[in-house]
Amino acid sequence: MKSLNRRNFMSLSAASGAVLAAGAVDSRPALAGSVTFAKGGRDFSPVTGRERKAIPTACWQCVTRDSLIGFVEDGRLVKLEGHPESIRTNGVICAKGQAGVNQVYFPDRILHPLRRVGKRGEHKWKRISWDEALDEIAARLKPLRDAGTPEKFMFQYGRMKASQSKVMSDFMAAYGTKTIGNHTSICEGGKWTSQELMWGGHYDNWDFDKTDFVLIFGSNMLNTHTNHIPVAQKLIEAHVGRKVPVYVFDVRLTNTAAHADEWIPINVGKDGLVALSMVNVIMNEGLYKKDLFKFMKVSADRKASMDEKIAAVKEQVAKFTPEFAEKESMVPAGKIRDLARRFAKSKSGVVVSYRGTIAHQHGADQERAMMLLAAVTGNVNSPGGRCQGVGAGWKSPKSKHPKARALDINHGFPGQVAYPTHKVSNQVLKMIKDGRNGRPEVYMWACYNPVYVNGEVNENREIMMDESIMPFLVCSTIVYDESSSLADIIVPDVTYLERWDWEDMVSPTQVAEYYFRQPLIKPLGESRDFGDMCVGLAKRLGIELAWKDKEDFVRQSCEMTPGVKEAGGFEYMKKHGVWHDKNANPDYLAFETRIPASALEADGVIFDEASGVYWNWHESKAKTEAEAKTVGYQNTPKSYKGFVGQEVDGEVYRGFKPDAVNKSGFLEFYSELMKAKGMPVFPTYTPIPEHVEMAPDELHLTTYKVAVHTHSRTSHCKWLSEIYHDNPGWMNPKTAAERGLKDGDVIRVHNKLGGITTNVHVTEGIIPGVIAISYHVGREHSGRYGSGSPSPIPGVADDPDFNNKWWDKHGVHPNAIIASSPDEISGQQRWMDTVVRVEKA
Amino acid sequence: MATARKDMAETAASRSNVYGLLAAVFRAEPSAAFLAQVKSSEFANVLESLDLSLGDDFQDTPCDQLVEGLAVEYTRLFIGPGPRISPHESTNIEFENPMEGTLWGPQTVKVKKFIEAAGLAYDELFDGMPDHVSAELEFMQRLATKEAEAWEERNEEFATNILKIEERFLDEHLSLWISRFCDKVIEHSEHPFYQGFAEVTKGFLEYEGKSLQAFNSGTGNGRGFPD
Amino acid sequence: MTEMTKSTIGRRQVLKGAGVVAAGTAALATPVKQAEAAKKVPRWAMVMDLRRCIGCSACTVACKAENNVSLGRFRTVIQHKMIGTFPNVTKVNLPLMCNHCTSNKEDASAKVPPCVKICPEYPGERQTYVTPEGKKIRYRGGATYRRPDGLILVDVEKCIGCGKCIDGCPYGVRSFDPFTKAGKKPEKQAVDKCDFCKHRIDNGVEPACVNTCQGRARIFGDLNDPESEVAKLVKEHNLEKSVLLPEEKTNPHVFYIDPDNLLKTAYRQREKGKLDHYVDTLDG
Ligand code: SF4
Ligand code: SF4
Ligand code: SF4
Repeated sequence: MKSLNRRNFMSLSAASGAVLAAGAVDSRPALAGSVTFAKGGRDFSPVTGRERKAIPTACWQCVTRDSLIGFVEDGRLVKLEGHPESIRTNGVICAKGQAGVNQVYFPDRILHPLRRVGKRGEHKWKRISWDEALDEIAARLKPLRDAGTPEKFMFQYGRMKASQSKVMSDFMAAYGTKTIGNHTSICEGGKWTSQELMWGGHYDNWDFDKTDFVLIFGSNMLNTHTNHIPVAQKLIEAHVGRKVPVYVFDVRLTNTAAHADEWIPINVGKDGLVALSMVNVIMNEGLYKKDLFKFMKVSADRKASMDEKIAAVKEQVAKFTPEFAEKESMVPAGKIRDLARRFAKSKSGVVVSYRGTIAHQHGADQERAMMLLAAVTGNVNSPGGRCQGVGAGWKSPKSKHPKARALDINHGFPGQVAYPTHKVSNQVLKMIKDGRNGRPEVYMWACYNPVYVNGEVNENREIMMDESIMPFLVCSTIVYDESSSLADIIVPDVTYLERWDWEDMVSPTQVAEYYFRQPLIKPLGESRDFGDMCVGLAKRLGIELAWKDKEDFVRQSCEMTPGVKEAGGFEYMKKHGVWHDKNANPDYLAFETRIPASALEADGVIFDEASGVYWNWHESKAKTEAEAKTVGYQNTPKSYKGFVGQEVDGEVYRGFKPDAVNKSGFLEFYSELMKAKGMPVFPTYTPIPEHVEMAPDELHLTTYKVAVHTHSRTSHCKWLSEIYHDNPGWMNPKTAAERGLKDGDVIRVHNKLGGITTNVHVTEGIIPGVIAISYHVGREHSGRYGSGSPSPIPGVADDPDFNNKWWDKHGVHPNAIIASSPDEISGQQRWMDTVVRVEKA
Repeated sequence: MATARKDMAETAASRSNVYGLLAAVFRAEPSAAFLAQVKSSEFANVLESLDLSLGDDFQDTPCDQLVEGLAVEYTRLFIGPGPRISPHESTNIEFENPMEGTLWGPQTVKVKKFIEAAGLAYDELFDGMPDHVSAELEFMQRLATKEAEAWEERNEEFATNILKIEERFLDEHLSLWISRFCDKVIEHSEHPFYQGFAEVTKGFLEYEGKSLQAFNSGTGNGRGFPD
Repeated sequence: MTEMTKSTIGRRQVLKGAGVVAAGTAALATPVKQAEAAKKVPRWAMVMDLRRCIGCSACTVACKAENNVSLGRFRTVIQHKMIGTFPNVTKVNLPLMCNHCTSNKEDASAKVPPCVKICPEYPGERQTYVTPEGKKIRYRGGATYRRPDGLILVDVEKCIGCGKCIDGCPYGVRSFDPFTKAGKKPEKQAVDKCDFCKHRIDNGVEPACVNTCQGRARIFGDLNDPESEVAKLVKEHNLEKSVLLPEEKTNPHVFYIDPDNLLKTAYRQREKGKLDHYVDTLDG
């Protein structure tokens, strides 16, 4: 180009002026108002003092969702800290929470709606306006609804909780679809199903403030837990402050195991067996506590006497001797006996179990064994015991709903799973590929990465690439990842630090905390809350919602929720961020509460002789009272919704109220429901088929998480990936020696699904016969700090800290060689059942 | 004197035009109407006189087709995935302390405060960061318009003052980074349209820098501008 | 010159009745317990309770965020180490940072730690420190220097970026900050390290790492106040000698509660030229 002089400048200007004058520029100006300087005199100083505001809000890096204080300077978020007034967290947060700032400002964040213009996976996009995006999505959704097939719109989410999920499900219901997928099966859904079969609700908390003994199975709860910060600090306090004994059974020496009195190495998949053998010792030595037996169902006879119940449990666990358990689990029989005795004799105690125990074939049954151990020692819903979680009970506005319809693709293949009460998300893509139960015409997802987070990554990618089976893909996201890169339309979601929510995660003290999330800053770019996107779609579809936008939804909820409302509602929550009832106390042993006779005489309440349950048939799917009576409580669909009370020894009690399946009000160990599906009626030990068939040179592949990452949503956070970005496979020196491997060797880990190449980390902190590979890393796309390159197409390094990025390893992803395979009881993804061979590469 | 004032008014208005056009180029993907104007003979002549081309087939390609291609290119260049050149001041300055240069960082705040001190606010619907290239160019457009008005109204003191502010904004902000940004666009763009406009932007701002300095220091040719 | 602000005690107190406060970090974070009637200058110290550190790295990230620490270096890290052979194996999480050493007691010439002693830009001009009750104390500044309350600090304006202090520190806690130019030699990078979150403690707020420690493994306070938790812990657990590399006689003011005597086996000194203390996190 020639350089400018006055002459060509003037002609450039004239031509420019012509373009502008022609009204050809249709974008809105960036600036509003007019330039207003005082005539000449005013001192022009743009620099005013710094203003730093402290705003209460809540974390969302992980599901624990701790209360926060955000510090904002000149409209810029600068720092996050724990909310000192939160009774859940006492003002501390974890590394992920501290790195929340990275979520807002990571340089590869998606900030505008995009429409795919190339082939799927070709990474060719065109920015479109929100209106275009919403019009286009609505244009796909409207005909489905008009044709009476709203169920062909499927929505799937990874993390939506509290008001997030309420807003989403209200919109989906108003639209008419119930084809809503989640991710719970890849998390710990099996644990919840199991608990629903026993004590009704789901989610357990451990009363660490009062407990006297702690047994932990398959859970690195000091570092990684769904209620991490609240429970971890209480466990440390109990252990160090009150010298409470802690024993950890794990395949790996986790940070939790390292902090216990003892790490007890255990073979993969044997947690339930060890718990059963402890029950064996406790029963045989008469160390059980009778208190809870009254409310336990342990045999077919619900009217069994105390002695009969004790005899029944003894008989059921008779074969699980410590010697048998030792042979299978490698936990010494003496250790089992010793711990069983000490646990039973201590005033109170908790049994903790998590994914190491659950993510197996029949993992849900292993959880039943854990509960049995807690129950025979009287440690259920009792001070210092294993308690049902208590969270906030928010009320929220509801829109008018038509009768919603669903494609049956969220519960696994027909006959595959007995009680998929938390759905079978790991089979969704396979169900879509299969097509027998129909396919969604529109598949939308948010805060989820279906390709990466499920097993069989390569197949997932293939399915999502195939336009013939997944014709229209919409994704709401902040990051260009393995899945959003395959979408047809990407809409930019806000980060959690830019949105409104009420929150309700479980409290570690058994007293509910109501808390709140509010935007710390104006959402960056064109990012928009998923709930506000729903409002835009509703407008286009002619759907009337009971709330104007997400903020309004949260505001209305605050004004209608007892307690919060009286405290000052929305304005109070904006100011304080947290609220709890100062007079509330833990409701221990609530199952012993009597049900007043009047409640049993209410309209529709009938008695079911077989189960001893009083229930209101109106709440169920039964059409008439006569039908309800003949079909009976257990077999009437949704009868559990009408549960009123449980008859025990001639009295009616609140008992253990069902909330997902038609169980009785007993704490059920002998389960008619399990029996009806051909599953073990009483907690037992079922060897895992893949493990039984293992060849001598094969190894177990187990997975784990670390404290500084979530499964898939934090690798773009630079401060976290700086600490953890590579995940060599852990291997015991003995196992390594058998394969001629030394620490750091490059290895190939493979099975029939394929192979991955990584390094071996030879360590004493793991049992022989296993290779353990973590999640989090091995990202194909996750921004410059996660996958190593700013985008799939070489980009420009315009983040000053990027020059300081020193790591060039980005790990591997084990899911490529893990089958998407559900536990037949619950649908839980069997993360820990994979078998592999490992060789030097 | 009157002529000089008239000249100044005309110059300011002209400068404002160019800023306005460039702001529009970087604000968003071009519309068909916009492209039609750029294709006009008047504009084409200017480009030719500057020895610039927006592509061999630019004139012959129908506007609708250009719109699509340029939208994809705009997305690739500035929004990502793609080279994703951050069109922001904060990320394009080589700072003494590079930490100043983070996205929505301390430098962004300085730009925002500068612009707000001039009595302007960011439009509610403006979704860029406060130091987006188009916001800064538009700010200069607004200043130059105001300056032109002041000359017209014979308010020389005010006009001179605005000129100083314009120079300050260039010195403290726009000129610090615009050529670096334009160089990235020239390097990474696969479309001569953006390469061409990046050249114009760079060239114009160099000219502006010299002009404003010359005027404010009184070393110009009487009309305040070097030839 | 530094003013000490008296602050109220108790971590909950600050927020009461004031959900949104327009103020600095200081307003809402945890206040440092200060001696109400401290007649003496405070002597800031930290106790690391190894029984409580769960190796979560929240402190590391909190510090990054608080102090805008660039990638590639840390002001505080957790060193992990497995000890023993399977199945009798355990793991230590060792929080490391500047020890805010006092001096070498046996070397009368050294009234400052080795990092300060070796600094060519020390001692510099005289500075004034103001105690909580307004008493003024004069001390020597420098590119790296010791403040009367025991903080070992870097003055980047005076730094020449020679890196002598980096080598002088036996703990390897110092590094060059790619984001800061050495004031006296702008072509060099200035040195940086933990400053006990000076800007927070001077406002009565505990350091960022302490604020977020879920294990309550980090306890911060004034050793000169016998009522402070740190003073009590040092006394109760007899921590005088429970410090890193006591043989260096640097007289550190970061103490470790280490009932199982793991410090010696677990601590790995930084290799020269290696990224900070950052050895490996594999055992996480
Ligand atoms: S545990 Fe960590 S990531 Fe999870 S909510 Fe708390 S601070 Fe956030
Ligand atoms: S925050 Fe506390 S518990 Fe976590 S690593 Fe740091 S010192 Fe240890
Ligand atoms: S730890 Fe190192 S840098 Fe810190 S005071 Fe001691 S010698 Fe100096």
